[in-house]
Order: sequence, then C-alpha cells, then structure tokens
Amino acid sequence: MSTHLAKLPRLLAAALLLFFLLAAIAPNLLAPVDPLAIDPAAAFSAPGPGHLLGTDESGRDIYSRIIHGARSSLLIGAAATAIGLGLALVLGTLAGFGGRWLDFGVGRILEVLFALPGLLLALVFIALAGPGVTTTVIAVGLTWAPGYARMIRAQIIALRSSAMVEAATVLGRRRSRILLVHILPNALAPLAVLATLGLGQAILWAASLSFLGLGSPPPAPEWGTMLSAGRTYLSLAWWMTFFPGLAIVLVAAAATVLSRSMKAGGSR
Amino acid sequence: MTLARPLATKLFPIATALAAALVLAGCTPSGTTSDASSDPGSPVTGGNLVYASGDAEPSCLDPHVGGNYPQALVASQYLETLYTKDAEGKLIPWLAADSTVSDDGLTRTVSIRDGITFTDGTALDAAAVKANFEHLLDPKTASSTGYLALGKIASMKAVDASTLELKLKTPDNSLLESFSMPWVAIESPTALKRTQEENCAAPVGTGPFKVQSWKKQYSVQMVRNADYVLPVAGAAHAGPAYLDSITWRFIPEAATRYAALQAGEVDIIDNAQPDAIATAVKTSTIKHLDAPRPGASNRIELNSSKAPFNDEKVREAFIHAVNINASVDSLFFGSAKRSYSPLSSVEPLAYSEESLFNYDPTKAGTLLDAAGWSERDAQGYRVKNGVRLSLTFPVSTSQSIPAEQSLFEQIQATAKESGIEVQINLLDISSWYGELFTNSYNLVSAPYTKVGPGVLSILFHSDSTIPAPSGYFANLSQVKDPALDALLNTAGSTKDEAQRKDLYTQAQKKVLEGYYLLPLYDQQNHFLYSEKLKNVGATTAVASPIFFDTWLAN
Repeated sequence: MSTHLAKLPRLLAAALLLFFLLAAIAPNLLAPVDPLAIDPAAAFSAPGPGHLLGTDESGRDIYSRIIHGARSSLLIGAAATAIGLGLALVLGTLAGFGGRWLDFGVGRILEVLFALPGLLLALVFIALAGPGVTTTVIAVGLTWAPGYARMIRAQIIALRSSAMVEAATVLGRRRSRILLVHILPNALAPLAVLATLGLGQAILWAASLSFLGLGSPPPAPEWGTMLSAGRTYLSLAWWMTFFPGLAIVLVAAAATVLSRSMKAGGSR
Repeated sequence: MTLARPLATKLFPIATALAAALVLAGCTPSGTTSDASSDPGSPVTGGNLVYASGDAEPSCLDPHVGGNYPQALVASQYLETLYTKDAEGKLIPWLAADSTVSDDGLTRTVSIRDGITFTDGTALDAAAVKANFEHLLDPKTASSTGYLALGKIASMKAVDASTLELKLKTPDNSLLESFSMPWVAIESPTALKRTQEENCAAPVGTGPFKVQSWKKQYSVQMVRNADYVLPVAGAAHAGPAYLDSITWRFIPEAATRYAALQAGEVDIIDNAQPDAIATAVKTSTIKHLDAPRPGASNRIELNSSKAPFNDEKVREAFIHAVNINASVDSLFFGSAKRSYSPLSSVEPLAYSEESLFNYDPTKAGTLLDAAGWSERDAQGYRVKNGVRLSLTFPVSTSQSIPAEQSLFEQIQATAKESGIEVQINLLDISSWYGELFTNSYNLVSAPYTKVGPGVLSILFHSDSTIPAPSGYFANLSQVKDPALDALLNTAGSTKDEAQRKDLYTQAQKKVLEGYYLLPLYDQQNHFLYSEKLKNVGATTAVASPIFFDTWLAN
C-alpha cells in the first residue's frame, strides 16, 4: 500500500507530462477553439462554462492558448536542453579525457562562463543576435552548458580511475575505444536524469525571456508572453496570469519530480 | 452598429461619473477634465511631490533637443513659453507681452515682458528670445519639433530690449500657437552657451521650479524657484510655488506605477492604464485627470509610397477590413472616444468624417478583388502575382500602452479574416526609428502633438517627407499631393480666420477621403493622483500638467 502511495507523485508527473506532450503534438484534439480568434465583446470573461479558463483582453480563449502554447514551450525547453547537453558533452569530454592542458584550458573557460549569471549571459546573447525563438533556444542552451560540462567532466574523471578502465588500459585498448565503449556510455546514463531536470528549468527560463519580450512575437500563444500580457490586468483578470503561470509551474515541477524519481531508481 | 457591448453597459456608472466631472471641472483649462471638483481648502506650503512617469526617460532635459512629449512633461515645471492657453483654451501672451503682424504677414513683432529673470540671474529680454530661436534653428541642436515650428522664420532682430522682430519666408498664422509649446520654451541664453551635454543635464528657465539634480535611470529632482514671478497676474496665486520640490521618477511598468500610487509611494502617475482608471474612479482616494493632447489624433498612417498601399483601393479596403470600434469599447473601458479626424478633439478646427471608417469586410473583399488581390494562398491570405498581401507594422513599445498593443493585435486578427496579413514588430524606440528611416513599414502609429491645425502641414505636406535635422520626418503616410500642398500653404498663411477654417476643413477631407490614415482616438493623456494632492488640473497649451498652484494636504 505504502509503495503505491509513494508512486503517486511519479504517476501524476508522468500523466501531466504526457498531457502536455499530447497538447504539443495535437493541440486541436484537446482545444478545438482557434487560439488566435478574437472576440472583443467577450474580453476579460472570467473562467466559466463558455471559456474554461476565461478569456484575455482580446476575448481569446486562455485554455486554448495554453494548449496551443505547449508546443513552443516544450520545444524551446527540449531544444535548449539538447543544445546545453551537447555543448557540455564536448567540453566535459575534452576536459575530462583530453589531458592536463585541455582540462586546464576548458576549466578556465567554464569558470569565466560561471562568473556571469546565467540570465545575463542569455540576455547578452539575445542583445547580440536579436530576439526570437531560435535565439532564445540557443541562449538558454548556452547558459546551461557550463554546469552540465562540469558534471560530465567529474563523471569522466571518476570513471577514468575505475577498475574497468584500468583493466582496459592494461589490456592495451586504444584511448578512443576506451572513451567510446567504457567511459561515455557510463557517463551518459546520469545525463538522462539531468536532461529531464533541465527540461523543466529550460521551460522556466524560456518563459522568463518571453516575459521580458525577448521570445516569440505576438500574438503567438507562448506561456511567458501570456504571463507578461496578463500582468497589466492582474487586478482585473487574475486568470490571464494565473493559468499560464500554473502551466509553467506544472510542467517544470512534473519534470523535476520525474527526474528525481529516475535518480532514486538509478541509485537503488 | 449592432454590436454587443456588454462592457459599455457595465461601465455606464463610470461614464456618468466622468460626465459629471466634465461639467464640474469648469475651472480647469479647456479640454481637461478632473475629478477635483470639491473645495480643496486652504493651501499648505511645503512638501515634496513625487511624480511617476511611464514614458521613456528623456535623454536630454532640454526640450529644444529632439522635442518629444516626455521632455515637454518634465520641462513644463522649469521652463515657460512666450504664449500659452488660458482656462478657456484661448491663446494668451505669457512671457511675451504682445505681438503684431504686418499687413503682408511677413514681419512679426513680439514684445517681451519686463521684470522676469531666469533662475541663473540672467534677465529675460528680446536678445534672450532671439538666442533661443537661433538655438532651435541651429542644426547642431538636432531639434525636430521646435525646428519645424519655427521653420518659416527667415531672419530676426532684437530691435530693443523688449522688442523682437521676425522676418518670415512666407506668412505663418500658427506662429503664436507654436510659441505656446514647451519645445519652443525660453531658456537662459547664458545657460545655452554651455555645452549641449551640460545644458541637457540642467536647463535653466523662468519656471516655478528649477532642476537640482538628475540621477539617470531613476529620477530628476527639482526645487522651488523662490524668486518666481507669475507673468500674468490673476491666473493663479502670486509668489513662489506651494510645493518645496518635485521628484520626477521613471517607472515604465504600468502595473508597478499604479501600485506605487496605491501604496502612497508616489503622488501622481501619468500614462494611466484604462483598466486602472476604471478602478480608480470608483475610489475616493485616487483622482483622475483627463487631458487629451492637442494637435493630431492618435492614428495609424498608411504608407502610400510603396506597394500595396500605393493603390488607394487597397488602403480603403484595409480600413474597412478592421473593426476599431469593437476594440476601443472593450480595451479602453470608456476612457477613450473613437476619433474620425486627423486632428485631436480639443482642436477647434477638427473635422470628422465617420462614414468613411465603418467596418465592412464585404466591401473590403470587393475592393481587394477589384485591385487584383483575388487569389488566396494556403493560409488564406490574398495573393497577387505570387506576392502575399502582407503589411509590416513596426510598433514602438515605449510609445504605445499595452491596451493599444492589444488593439493592434486585434486589427491583425480581424484583417486576417479579409485575407490581409499584418506583421507586428514590437521594437525599442531606436530600432523603430530605424524602420521609418529605411521606409520598411506599411503601417505605423506615431503620436504628434502640436498646438493648432498647423500640425496638418507637418503631417501631410510633401515637404514633411524630407527629414528634419534629427532625422525624423513626420509625413509618415508619405502623401505627396500638389493640390493638398497648395491648400495647406494657403491655410497656413491666410489672415482671414474663416478662410483658414474652410481650407483646413478641405485639407482634412482630402486626407480622410484619400484613406491615408485610420484615426483611432485622441492622444491619451490620463493622470491618476492621490486625493492628498490639491489643485491639480492646470496645464500648458500641450496639456502637460503644471504644479505651480498644486499643494499637498497634510
């Protein structure tokens, strides 16, 4: 019985992620109303039977916009995580397996990147490359890379002195083979956990950047943009801010819960 | 119109309250309505007024440089003008004592008031005014608003200490109206001799307050001018201002600004949002001042210099394809009234033509078909010779409030139904100017404030397609019509008031019927202030508030 209860958060998180994944793949299935269709006469309608989660200042359906916004939010999150992890993999491997001088060089670069707050790094990048979805994705990915790279480097260094790598070295295996066969597969397993955790965080970051007006242009339904638009009418129409915010929190929390349970499962 | 208007019904009590305020506000300058109708009691001297502005912080506090509304708002506290408008909206001399014009209209004589000194001790005289005009006309000053306003001046001469003689290139019947604008305000000639950087940081004028310090990105601190002399007796109390000082803060975020007012952290906010106004008028602690700006109405210009708007039919179709009234009703909570004129409703010569601007998608479709935009692409947009009917609409985020940006999004959504694509680009102000300079726009909304109908020449005369020294040009619909130019030239130079009115009416008809612009509403200028602030409502000729007579109750 207690094991069932313990599984509940995990199941809920998985169900939520599946729901938003479905929303991202086939939004029309869950929300048939056009997320861009305006109806000024129905502006600022409170949540109710006609509009499940209310309407915004142009009478657009909030529920429909959240469902249709899932695709860009999840895509931004996934792509940013992928970029961050990819970059981190290269840097981490170079540092952990490339010898003393490379380790030193990459280490210093990472330290410099660490010295800058992540959001600042993202803002600098956006200032240079101009706002937009692609830039947001790269910017968020870039800011995540240093942290991941350090973890990968630590993993590789730990594996380098493990018994199986020592055995392979004694047997005279080539370094590249040792890296590909013995080190990387073992270093990557914990990355799956990191990636899930990163997904939630990346969505949060992407939403923050859209909130600052640096993400997708209007009227595209994007959670951060919706949050920002609703802020103007916070005292009048709380639902304009609350529900997009709730979506962001739910996805980020679900991803975190899932990654925690994966980590717990992995260490058992 | 048979539109459902549930919000209008809900807001009826507010509308009545506003109407009542309008009637009661007989003592405030024309065009402005204030809730401050009850007796404010006896004035208290002292206190610091905290003003929170939602506009972009000016890069220069001297409104001669560039010349935009945020500069006018702050400069109205420390600079004064030659002319101004009285409570009835009549143009009256202020720093000037009088003015006459020769029969041929080519020589204007301005006499300057005696006994007024700038806060640096320099005396106000004809030579001082001349130095100001020269400063404005000097390309190095990079003035746009003031430069255009004085554009007709050919030469000037200080005949004696109190007489300035201006020779004009062509007669200009709006010159005195131009003199009433803060962008042509009179500054100390001694101070003007400093570098532009120094003068921008602390301009010196004759106003009731003077600039003490400026913490960039935060606030401008002003203190009372203890030696202030009111140029026209009887307009307000004599002697210096009641308030000790004014802190002019910049809080760009609308909700934060309103929250600061509610918390008592600031005493007055500008750029009040429609929803905040609707809430505030229901309270007894916050009061509302509505002061529509003179000059142009707030409108969307249709760039006629390039495709697809070089075809009048497409311009007309676009205007019928969008439903402005429905949006104004729902987004502005009754705080903005729809305009059908190129001019502000406070301009006596404004001409409206409602019948041209009805929402009629069927008519839009017929017009577009006739103009050759009959095919549709996969996304439902109209196509002609393989090119989509797409309109670029750069929007300056610092010049439009969120409700206005929502209005633009609604235009985008409604235009789509007629197969017209509108691409909204939200830009910071410098990128936005960049789009205008490179002619990379089909639609644009740019406010233009000026006193008098002369603004029509600035907005629609072909000369105004040529950039001012600052690089800005105001004829953004890029109308180049010799007949219109001729009308505007005569209207601006005639000495006959009836003819002036008739010609400006014809000119307005011409631009409206040519579908060069889509009027939206007056340039919104709403202030919300704490009920502790008394005697708010006096404004300059451009509707920027003056706090000379204002006092803070304990």
